[in-house]
Amino acid sequence: MRSRRSTSALALSGAVAIGLLAGCASDDPADPAPGGEPAGEEKVTLTVVSLIPGSEQAAFDAFEERVAQFEERYPNIDVEGVEYEWRATTFAAQLAGGTLPDVFEIPLTDAKTLIENGQLADLDEAFAQLDYAEEFNEALLDAGRGEDGHVYAIPAKSVYGVALHYNRELFEQAGLDPDDPPSTWDEVREYAKQIKDATGVAGYATMATNNTGGWQLTAATYSRGGRVQEATDDGTYVATLDNPATQAHLEMLEAMRWEDDSLLADTTLDWSTINQAFAAGQLAMYTTGSDVLNALMETNGLDPAVYGMTAMPLEGADAGVLVGGTLAAVTAQADDATKDAAIKWIDHWYLSTLRDQEQAVADAKVRFEAGQGVGTPVLPIFSREQYEQELAWKADYINVPLDQMTGYTDVMFDQPVVGEPSRATQETYALLDVPVQAVLTDRNADIPALLAAANEQAQALLDE
Amino acid sequence: MSATDVQSAADVVPRGRSGPSPDGVAARPARPARRRRSPAEWVRRGGLSTVVLALPLLVIFGVFSWLPIGRAVVMSFQETNLLTAHWVGLDNFRAVLADPLLPVAVRNTAWFALLALVFGYPVPLVGAVLMSTLRRMRGLFSVLAYLPVVVPPVVAVLLWKFFYDPRPEGVFNEILGWVGLGPFPWLQDQTAAMPSLVLEATWAAAGGTVIIYLAALTSVPPELYDAAEVDGASIWGKIRHVTLPHLRGVLLITFILQIIGTAQVFLEPYLFTGGGPANATVTVLLLIYRYAFGQSLGSDYGMATALSLMLAVFLALLSIAWFRLTRNWSTS
Amino acid sequence: MTALTTARADRPRRADRPCRAVDEEPRGLVSPADWRRPIVWLGLRAGHAVLLALLLVWGIGPILLLAKFAVTPTQDILRTPLAVFPNGITWANLDAAWNDVEVSRYLLNTVWVAAGAWVSQVVVAATGGYVLSVLRPRWGRLLHAAVLATLFVPAVVLLVPLYLTVLDPPVGGSMINTFWGVWLPAGASAFNVVLVTRFFDSLPREVFEAAAVDGAGPFRMFWSVVLPMSRPILGVVSVFAVIAAWKDFLWPLLVLPDPDLQPLSVRLPTLQGSTDKGVLMAALAISTVIPIAVFLAFQRLFLRGAGLGGAVKG
Repeated sequence: MRSRRSTSALALSGAVAIGLLAGCASDDPADPAPGGEPAGEEKVTLTVVSLIPGSEQAAFDAFEERVAQFEERYPNIDVEGVEYEWRATTFAAQLAGGTLPDVFEIPLTDAKTLIENGQLADLDEAFAQLDYAEEFNEALLDAGRGEDGHVYAIPAKSVYGVALHYNRELFEQAGLDPDDPPSTWDEVREYAKQIKDATGVAGYATMATNNTGGWQLTAATYSRGGRVQEATDDGTYVATLDNPATQAHLEMLEAMRWEDDSLLADTTLDWSTINQAFAAGQLAMYTTGSDVLNALMETNGLDPAVYGMTAMPLEGADAGVLVGGTLAAVTAQADDATKDAAIKWIDHWYLSTLRDQEQAVADAKVRFEAGQGVGTPVLPIFSREQYEQELAWKADYINVPLDQMTGYTDVMFDQPVVGEPSRATQETYALLDVPVQAVLTDRNADIPALLAAANEQAQALLDE
Repeated sequence: MSATDVQSAADVVPRGRSGPSPDGVAARPARPARRRRSPAEWVRRGGLSTVVLALPLLVIFGVFSWLPIGRAVVMSFQETNLLTAHWVGLDNFRAVLADPLLPVAVRNTAWFALLALVFGYPVPLVGAVLMSTLRRMRGLFSVLAYLPVVVPPVVAVLLWKFFYDPRPEGVFNEILGWVGLGPFPWLQDQTAAMPSLVLEATWAAAGGTVIIYLAALTSVPPELYDAAEVDGASIWGKIRHVTLPHLRGVLLITFILQIIGTAQVFLEPYLFTGGGPANATVTVLLLIYRYAFGQSLGSDYGMATALSLMLAVFLALLSIAWFRLTRNWSTS
Repeated sequence: MTALTTARADRPRRADRPCRAVDEEPRGLVSPADWRRPIVWLGLRAGHAVLLALLLVWGIGPILLLAKFAVTPTQDILRTPLAVFPNGITWANLDAAWNDVEVSRYLLNTVWVAAGAWVSQVVVAATGGYVLSVLRPRWGRLLHAAVLATLFVPAVVLLVPLYLTVLDPPVGGSMINTFWGVWLPAGASAFNVVLVTRFFDSLPREVFEAAAVDGAGPFRMFWSVVLPMSRPILGVVSVFAVIAAWKDFLWPLLVLPDPDLQPLSVRLPTLQGSTDKGVLMAALAISTVIPIAVFLAFQRLFLRGAGLGGAVKG
């Protein structure tokens, strides 16, 4: 989110407020397809994001089923799914190479720069066709608006808060109550040690590479009341990577690695490999987005019975939960017919399943039958009421163990939320990968010096 | 186009030293004196056919070699996002030189090259000399030595990444545990990571070097050994005074080719560690890749080509210096 | 790269020494007299035995382990990687790798990539070498120099501009996500051209002159005289071309982002995070079987190609 801290903190309260105002104004099941009538007879081929590479066959089947439903609804649109995983390290080449699907997903934080660079299609006209265009959480929608006020990228897929995920089986083996997960960082450390001592399995792990180490370090910083950059009144930004909260978290990681030996010593973990290690039972606790269970089931074949989720520990005056999200965007070269088809797909695949009872149930049914997660907690793109309504529609198909996630779901709407750093986001994360890797691999890592060096480079990027 | 070409170049250089020298028949017949010819005459004499036959080479080299080389030079003085480009003078070079990661990358690359020489230079030589004394089964030895070379490099890296599991039950740690060593952190340590990379790279490449040396060894004219024996030389004496001097040319060339190859190492750091832990394995080529393709927002093709040109010039100067320096050695 | 020219420069000096085929060798470093001395015999035999043991561990050990992993249940691989099948053998991982991970498809892509790169390299090298060495047009020297010059440019310089060229070639559309983007640049191998040119240089020119007297035009001469004679050198070029294509990683990674087109070398690393370790090991094993089988079948060609002048001679 490019908005300042104060604005992004409004994201969720805003969602609630707008939800209240707008209510469920347009939930008439007799509505025609929200994108309007099929645009002429012209045949359009649309490439879209399917799943991340290597997902389970059942997940691909479920995707194909949803595509079939879409093509039946819009016979003139031919949808082709492309495997895709957003990675900081490959996105630029894909964008430059023109090899992204027509509809692709980007992190909330990247939209403004891509729009400035002219790399996203102006979706304003097509977007206006959505009959719920007015009902988005404004702060979220704003992340995808250009300087001209037009909509270029649309909140889709998920908005997540970072949460703590754990393996209930390992908790039990270590004599810990899986229904009483840790709620402070000290407890996290204590539990991790107990698990390591009892089971020999690493009690805790952190992502460390491809910018994800910095991403999770930033989340931990927020949870300890720190920030990694601050906006000043004159519109410039100050890097604060060397703040006490970041330092405290790195010191904890260092102690867990070298004193307790409870931290998984692997600096090559990123979003997908840590999921894999978790599903393989090689670690007991880690932090990542609240919606990770879907991926754990789709891609890593995790049995949800062993899975538990609880809220990030929040400590300190200004503590908050890092929220991030995904926007759907369309390649800049797209013509009007493609944009029109794209908005229909965004509606069908990402949004109608949240807003339209029929679609929500159809999607839930397909996913349920394919053994994919239904009901995984995410933050609402529209409003809390809308979100709860959607869950109610899907109630029959919910197959994720919500009672094992109450530590998170009980507080998810009350936690203070903080957007990701708004400037040089990925570069900042990349710089923060280094101290994370350093404490994992060097017993005498000089944390203040590492952070000072990273901060200097981050400031140079912010000053550009 | 790829580092493999460099390696295959290394593979073949000694060829000419043992085979019939092509230049031996290079005495070309005198050409008829050139004079002006009409186009029809030109076609009749095969000029057109010649051009047609040269087309594949002209087109392929033109588009995929000469043009990109020229473009590299131009781009290093430009800032470009593909849609627009404007001249920025030496800014790209300045930006590269100001990058705090550059000295790290240069140091790491030099360290990789040095370790690769230490691991990968003398051992294959000893092995090849020993193999050259085999009277039977040399084929078996050669096949064994060369086998790792045919394993696809990506497979080798992914497999070794698993071998380097830092847990005590990791493959290497368990084996070393049998003799009371370890467990070692391998890739999970800023000091051990680079040697671990080099060890795998050596495993993957040493077989090729052995075969090159072996080829050179078997081309030593036996008369030289005969002569040495007449002079009463021992085996060691023959190695010192006949074998090694004969190998000198090959050794000097594989040395510089190995430097040129290792200066462009990419696969191992990219796949093993992504440059980590804490930048301990960031190499120059990885840095170039990051400039050009590794940032999610906007690529810096200008900086990438600037750094690659600097590396190229450095390697060229190094090669020239090396051959100046060693010219006397090989003729002594 | 400079090495090549230098090697070339000092070659004529040696050209007059008697040449010997590499395979037939009457003797080497150790003379028959040496062999009869017990200490030499023992020392060398011991050296050979140690070398053999080391080579077995070094050359086969990791490959055997990989083969074992391919049929070992995943949990055994993770917990006791060196134990010999504590819980039996499973074919499930191989099955999953072949069918679910679709190694079969990526294997086919790899074959396609290698085959096209081979054609492109052979065509450019054969026609180019023929023009430069046999036809020798007036502009041939310039062309030869221009080809040689590219030998001095390290591959890294080409990376970005070549990518941009493939992205937006002078004619036609983007070659990203087409095999052409891998095949055509592979043809621009100066090394192959030099190799073939030098080989043609060594052929007796009387053959060409006789063919010309018989009225053979440039094409006919190329097809009926030069090509049949150049089988050995094209064999060497082929081996290099196929090996290089099979091994290449960075270039196809950039040019073929579409998973449906990727060769194994590019696809396998992206599966690391989403694939069960046992299945990944099975996929690695499958990817290794073919190159090893091809190597064992054509080992003489490979080993000669890798080190010997014998292949050039045929």
